[in-house]
Amino acid sequence: MGNITLEKVQKKFGETEVIPPLDLAIEDGEFVVFVGPSGCGKSTLLRLIAGLEDVSSGEIRIDGKPATDLPPAKRGLAMVFQSYALYPHMSVRKNIAFPLKMAGLNAEEQNKRVERAAAVLNLTDYLDRRPGQLSGGQRQRVAIGRSIVREPAAFLFDEPLSNLDAALRVGMRLEITELHERLKTTMIYVTHDQVEAMTMADKIVVLRAGHVEQVGSPLELYRNPRNLFVAGFIGSPKMNLMTGEHAARHDCTTIGVRPEHMRIVEEGGTFTGRIIVSEHLGSDTFFHVEIPGMDEPMTVRADGEIGLRHGDTIHLEPEARQIHRFDEKGLRLA
Amino acid sequence: MATQHSRAAARFMIAPSVIVLLLWMAVPLALTLYFSFLRYNLLMPGENPFVGWENYSYFLTDPAFQTAIVNTLILVLGVLFITVLGGIGLAVLLDQPMWGTGIVRIMVISPFFVMPTVSALVWKNMFMNPVNGLFAFLAGTFGMAPFDFLTQAPLASIVGIVSWQWLPFATLILLTAMQSLDSEQLEAAEMDGASAWSRFWYIKLPHLARAITVVVLIQTIFLLSIFAEILVTTNGGPGTASTNLTYLVYAESLLRFDVGTGSAGGVVAIILANIVAIFLMRMIGKNLDA
Amino acid sequence: MARAVPNSRKAINTAVAWTIAILIFFPILWTVLTSFKTEATAIADPPVFLAFDWTLENYTAVQERSDYFRHFWNSVVISLGSTIIGLIIAIPAAWAMAFVPGRQTKNVLMWMLSTKMLPPVGVLVPLYLIFRDWGLLDTRLGLVIVLTLINLPIIVWMLYTYFREIPVDILEAARMDGAGLASEVIYVLTPMAVPGIASTLLLNIILAWNEAFWTLNLTAANAAPLTAFIASYSSPEGLFYAKLSAASTMAIAPILIMGWFSQKQLVRGLTFGAVK
Repeated sequence: MGNITLEKVQKKFGETEVIPPLDLAIEDGEFVVFVGPSGCGKSTLLRLIAGLEDVSSGEIRIDGKPATDLPPAKRGLAMVFQSYALYPHMSVRKNIAFPLKMAGLNAEEQNKRVERAAAVLNLTDYLDRRPGQLSGGQRQRVAIGRSIVREPAAFLFDEPLSNLDAALRVGMRLEITELHERLKTTMIYVTHDQVEAMTMADKIVVLRAGHVEQVGSPLELYRNPRNLFVAGFIGSPKMNLMTGEHAARHDCTTIGVRPEHMRIVEEGGTFTGRIIVSEHLGSDTFFHVEIPGMDEPMTVRADGEIGLRHGDTIHLEPEARQIHRFDEKGLRLA
Repeated sequence: MATQHSRAAARFMIAPSVIVLLLWMAVPLALTLYFSFLRYNLLMPGENPFVGWENYSYFLTDPAFQTAIVNTLILVLGVLFITVLGGIGLAVLLDQPMWGTGIVRIMVISPFFVMPTVSALVWKNMFMNPVNGLFAFLAGTFGMAPFDFLTQAPLASIVGIVSWQWLPFATLILLTAMQSLDSEQLEAAEMDGASAWSRFWYIKLPHLARAITVVVLIQTIFLLSIFAEILVTTNGGPGTASTNLTYLVYAESLLRFDVGTGSAGGVVAIILANIVAIFLMRMIGKNLDA
Repeated sequence: MARAVPNSRKAINTAVAWTIAILIFFPILWTVLTSFKTEATAIADPPVFLAFDWTLENYTAVQERSDYFRHFWNSVVISLGSTIIGLIIAIPAAWAMAFVPGRQTKNVLMWMLSTKMLPPVGVLVPLYLIFRDWGLLDTRLGLVIVLTLINLPIIVWMLYTYFREIPVDILEAARMDGAGLASEVIYVLTPMAVPGIASTLLLNIILAWNEAFWTLNLTAANAAPLTAFIASYSSPEGLFYAKLSAASTMAIAPILIMGWFSQKQLVRGLTFGAVK
């Protein structure tokens, strides 16, 4: 159905290697998220799978069949673009029907499928409007509608939520997750937002400068980041990283403790410092603590009702089992 | 951003344009250059011997050439001066709130669409004619003697006609540029206490600088080649009083049938036009990256 | 800028602008009016503005005496022909340059522009001789060829600037939706590019219609379009003001109307995208 394999896939633009040879297996029905900072090659990787870019070497297989040299139209994939890429001169109905028309379906069948997709996506009332008359969220739904009607082997999403405002983003995140639950079709989703990655993915692929840093389920990445980059990228707020004597005590170069694994103690504690900023979110409070001898303030997550304030002295003790240890190359030590 | 397949297709699709333009440019240019070194007169059939720089020295030392250069300069600079100043003024005016903007705009740009031969004839006969022209009538009502524009001030009259044709162009482009000015900039200046005049001088005019340069360069290209207006009104005369470089080359080649000298003149015209073109191309080239 | 402007200021603006606009437009208006006068009224002293017996006799006279519509038809064939051939050559080129830009694209565009800077008089002699030898002098075919080549750079440039405004995403979306190159061009690109192609067509018809260097130098009686035909009025016939006006009115009317409709696109076309 929808398994996709990349074997030694490499991409160069002229002399610059954007993606060094890379292997990746995506199982049928999986929700895979490519995540990484901007410029890490995640969009390029998606476009290689889509066929919108040529691979420089290596092989792509879709459903076990070689697809490396197939044009995008023949790969049986559907894509939702960051800009939505709706056809401005066509009504919503025609936009959604376009892939069906290209597949040569008759008008009756086209109409049936469009109506069904529109009902699922709450677009029935807007079918005769032009994209220009829709809100951002509605356009996003049309783009999704256009991709689901032809029942592709896999969906490709290229940062689909980044043009929406914060509230809509959360809503659409849920809708896409629901859609995946219902359709059980392979989805590949590109984002730079680790929250989207954590909440939506079955499997996360963390990329940096074209390299795959780690592949795993969200919780695997959270619990056992393979290196400092993944440790810092996954989790919000970011993991606190410490070097020098603190790390030496644990026989390694760097240790990392997530803000939620720092306990506030009455007295003593491994770290003592002064609160420089406290952010009250209601449910939680984040303290940024200045600790003598450390370059960066340490972040601590505490209960929302805690009574400490700016300027107070605070004593901290990391939970012993939640300390991550890294060697001089930044790799995780067991 | 593209696949190899599409790149090959792209080359194939660009080819026809490039090939026809290459032929269009290279063949006549090479021939002009070649003829300019021959003694070649259509009225004297026979050998066309190679004569080196003779045609050039003949063309460049001809008193008509110097007159033509001066006339060309007067024509270009005169029209540029009138159209750019007038264009800025009209652009500022049309940018103001008023009733009937659409109709005013249409009336102002209309002369640009009138073919050169028509505008030259209409001005020559119906306005500048010393007997039946409207100007003669106007002079009469003020008790003045009618003025024979095209005989007594041929070049100035042509400058006037050509300015009428090109004023709409300058106005239209400057107005478009003016309207592309971000209104927040003007509002910010107003908050900073700038008067209407300061806003024009310090914000609008600098914003127009680029458009003014474009107007100057593009008009220069066209004004260097003014031909029909002269042919129809004065035939370059009286004498050579209104002969520009283009008209002189035309006269040499197609009236006196001296292909050699005409070609030498053509080469001179190309060199002069290139000097302007280089500046224009730089400006447009910069814009390509934006 | 949602502030009210005092009506008094608006009135002053309006008065000044209308006065200047009418002065600028007056020669055209006067020509049109004169075309409906008799020859005697046309040169009446004092001139008559509106209160005259309107007549169409000049229009019929112009046609009868000089076969006006043949020249009109020449203008139509030459301007339409050169523009359409130009579009056929230019659309693929502009498409390729806008959507598959390579390292040389910018240079090719600039080079095309540079051919437009060539003063016509620089190549007048060889072209005249080539036309003479190939029997193209005073033929519509010859003029169509020359005007196609003259305006090709403008056509490529205008189309290029319009095509570049079509987001590549949308074409890629079509590819993902299963469209091949042909479907992509027919169903997606062309409908989105139609306004741009139409403005390009319009502006180039205008430019070709009014071109008055090659049309004057390469035609005589047969293929002469209106530019050359009107020029023949510079000799004594020009003194027949009413007939000159009638011929002129018919020559400029279609283009004037097209120009009014395309004024916005004109700027982009004439400045090669340097002013938008």
